[in-house]
Amino acid sequence: MKHKFILLAILTIVLVGVACTAAPTPAPTAAPPTAAPKPTDAPKPTEAPKPTQAPQPTAAAKPTDAPKPTEAPKPTVAPTQPPAARSGGVLRIAQNATDLNNLDPHYATTTQDRSIVDMVFNALVRYKPGDGSVFEPDLATELPEPKIVGGKQEWTFNLRKGAMCQPTDGVPAYELTSEDVVYSLTKSANKDRSAYAGDYTGMTFEAVNPSTVKITLDNPISKNLFYPRVSNYSGGFIVCKKAAEKLGADKMKTMPVGTGPFMFKSYTAQDKIVLVANDSYFRGKPQLDGVEVRFMADLTSRELGLRGGQLDVINGAPDKAWVDKMKPVQNVQVDVFGVGEVATMYFNLNIPPMDKLPVRQAIAYALSRDEFLAFVGPTIGENVYSVVPAKFLAGGLTEQEAKAKGLDFTTDLAKAKKLLADAGYPNGFNLKLVTSEMTGYKVLYESLQAQLAKIGIKADVQVIDHTSFHNTIRQDANALVVYIAWRPNADAYLTRFLHSDSIIITGKKPDTNFVHYNKIDKLIDQARVELDATKQVDLWKQAQIQVLEDMVAFPIQYQNQVYARAKTVDYGHDLKSVLALYPGVDEKTKFVK
Amino acid sequence: MAWLIHASGIKVEMSMQAPSVKFVSQRRRMWNTFLRNRVAVLGLWLVIAVVLLAIGAPWIAAKDPLIQDPKNRLSAPGIEYLLGQDTFGRDIFARLLYAAHISLVVGLCSVLLGGTLGVTLGLIAGYSGGKIENLIMRLVDVLMAFPSLLLGITVLAVLGSGIEKMILAIGIMLSPAFARVVHGNTLSLKEREFVEAARCIGARQVRILRIHILPNILGDILVLGSLWTASAIRIEANLSFIGLGISPPTPTWGNMIREGSVHLLNAPWLSVFPGLAILVTVLAFNLLGDGLRDVFDPRLQL
Repeated sequence: MKHKFILLAILTIVLVGVACTAAPTPAPTAAPPTAAPKPTDAPKPTEAPKPTQAPQPTAAAKPTDAPKPTEAPKPTVAPTQPPAARSGGVLRIAQNATDLNNLDPHYATTTQDRSIVDMVFNALVRYKPGDGSVFEPDLATELPEPKIVGGKQEWTFNLRKGAMCQPTDGVPAYELTSEDVVYSLTKSANKDRSAYAGDYTGMTFEAVNPSTVKITLDNPISKNLFYPRVSNYSGGFIVCKKAAEKLGADKMKTMPVGTGPFMFKSYTAQDKIVLVANDSYFRGKPQLDGVEVRFMADLTSRELGLRGGQLDVINGAPDKAWVDKMKPVQNVQVDVFGVGEVATMYFNLNIPPMDKLPVRQAIAYALSRDEFLAFVGPTIGENVYSVVPAKFLAGGLTEQEAKAKGLDFTTDLAKAKKLLADAGYPNGFNLKLVTSEMTGYKVLYESLQAQLAKIGIKADVQVIDHTSFHNTIRQDANALVVYIAWRPNADAYLTRFLHSDSIIITGKKPDTNFVHYNKIDKLIDQARVELDATKQVDLWKQAQIQVLEDMVAFPIQYQNQVYARAKTVDYGHDLKSVLALYPGVDEKTKFVK
Repeated sequence: MAWLIHASGIKVEMSMQAPSVKFVSQRRRMWNTFLRNRVAVLGLWLVIAVVLLAIGAPWIAAKDPLIQDPKNRLSAPGIEYLLGQDTFGRDIFARLLYAAHISLVVGLCSVLLGGTLGVTLGLIAGYSGGKIENLIMRLVDVLMAFPSLLLGITVLAVLGSGIEKMILAIGIMLSPAFARVVHGNTLSLKEREFVEAARCIGARQVRILRIHILPNILGDILVLGSLWTASAIRIEANLSFIGLGISPPTPTWGNMIREGSVHLLNAPWLSVFPGLAILVTVLAFNLLGDGLRDVFDPRLQL
């Protein structure tokens, strides 16, 4: 008993001491067990370059029955850039996830999946690395211009020479042709084989010759809407036909085979996926020996891994407090970059009293964008005033535009209470909501709960796991749905969140129209086929003004991406905006001393 | 002058003069035994302190535990906010006190529920014997073989979160332990002479269990109850930590630790203070339980 008493006293003193003394930059000596790599797995970043491994682009391809990844045949055509000596090293990235989901690029929807397929696959067109606002040719030799033939729109792509499909079990490396491109795009358009089939409705694909592909659209669309469909994002990624047929749908989930700078080596469930450099990559031999993507859902573990040198790049938290904490850490660089995912609150008109406009307006006036933003921090995010973020995409409403129309809904609690009383709820009402356990969502829902309480609306918020959250909100469970998402253009935002085809459960193609809204279908459809960019943007803005007038969606904020890396990591490009929501690792990424 | 306390409860004065005998009641004797155990007394005082803090939370805490102050998130302990502010800028001291209320309610109610269920089953199994005993005790075996945390997760996953569901989940978890102890004691007591005598004069089974057996095992149940209260508080914290506890924004020590874990390196006070609260409360109930065991142990009653 005496020992217990003494132990209690010592423990209490030590813990109180620790609690009262903040330790801003501790230097842990070891990462948690899950983060600790085997010494042989992770070459040091400072490893000397290996000039003997310089590529020999003129060497003929030597396909074998079962080539090892590192023995990939050399491209038959010279790369577009002169090869440089490899810096070497394996880049260790930790993503905020427990596991991958699906590495078939046409099903890759989560950040961890997108970040991996981005390194393995190419597309006809790509977003400039680090800058999602610029398109440039990828597998195509140039960006095509459309032609109208017989009322239909044709886009013709000439393929570059020397883009090699990576070898996989039983399928040696081979040069990608139009046959692969047509196969891949046809797969993307097939709703049984792709999650993005809706983007390719009314398109036909034709291999004119081995290096030319023609895409014909029944209804002409603008470049702004066409290029994203053939870009390195979602359904635009090109899979290699022979590998896809050999592997089948199940194996493709975990064994990606494309034409990109890195190729699949191994995958351990709930641990990591290992990629190795594709020395046959058409832009030249990658600087890195390989990339390991680790699945670590716990932020503290990722942070300790980076601080301890067991990780090179980690997915951080969209939280100013976290950024401020990491900035002073020696040898660590924090990157905050776009594109910013937009958080918007949607009103479910199927659940009373959200069917009443004054109730929706009362809630809008009760909410404070600045209060939401305080949890993220002004350096990480910014307030938004329309569903489409004006900061990143054409078609969004700026603060000035929303104010000019009186649709900025600046916080006014007195007005909110009056509207609520007029609607027959002078004492407020009770709501049941579910939120994801993910910090980004949980913070917004708990802040929403506290803000609604100010006008008497008592929200009972249940915390559930992220996958269940997505399933539940698609079953009409929440009267208010806060959703954080990035979509590549205004059409995608408006179609998927507010077109009647996308209404959850009952829509033609149920997606994320949680509102059950159908009043801007015509504007969205008109904008989609409008070839004049200015008129198109006007139509999108009109649609969003209607949305705010009906107050079916309250735009809250965008949240930029937050990553931290060892200062020895050079991505090879500046970070302005990346659609795949990760920094972007390619053949130029390297370790520097 | 020296005194000798006889096992029968009679206090005998030891002196050169004629011995005088002083009667000490059993309750007094047990209380004396308890008071002699200073660590147990400390446990009792700590339990009383935690209970008073929990009950007095609305008067002791100067701030509302639910009011958010996003501009002052993660503030360090200071004069205005004694234990600092959490990720939402809420007062940690106020939340700690209100969370004590939840922890004690969950701890005591779940032990009451588990105890009632387990004692009833144990008494029936022990006294009835035969197939009923077999059936009940095998069920208890199955429940005991199931990892308790997993059992709690399963119950909460099915029923959803909420304080009453948490109590139910932990109560179910604890009941087999009560049943097993009570079953063993009942088996031993039902063969004793006073129980046989009661049976001979035609006392009904329920009366025998209620009047003759239950009071004789109440001491063991009390000891077990106080020890399991500590465990129940710990289990509640565990379940809240993994996100299966009470819904936000209601504070519990477990969900406070969970929320603070992200900021463990830059704002450790978010997790350390609720951790300390759990440590002190669990230790207090354990010390109290140890003291009660001594009180009910006949070998230590001299």
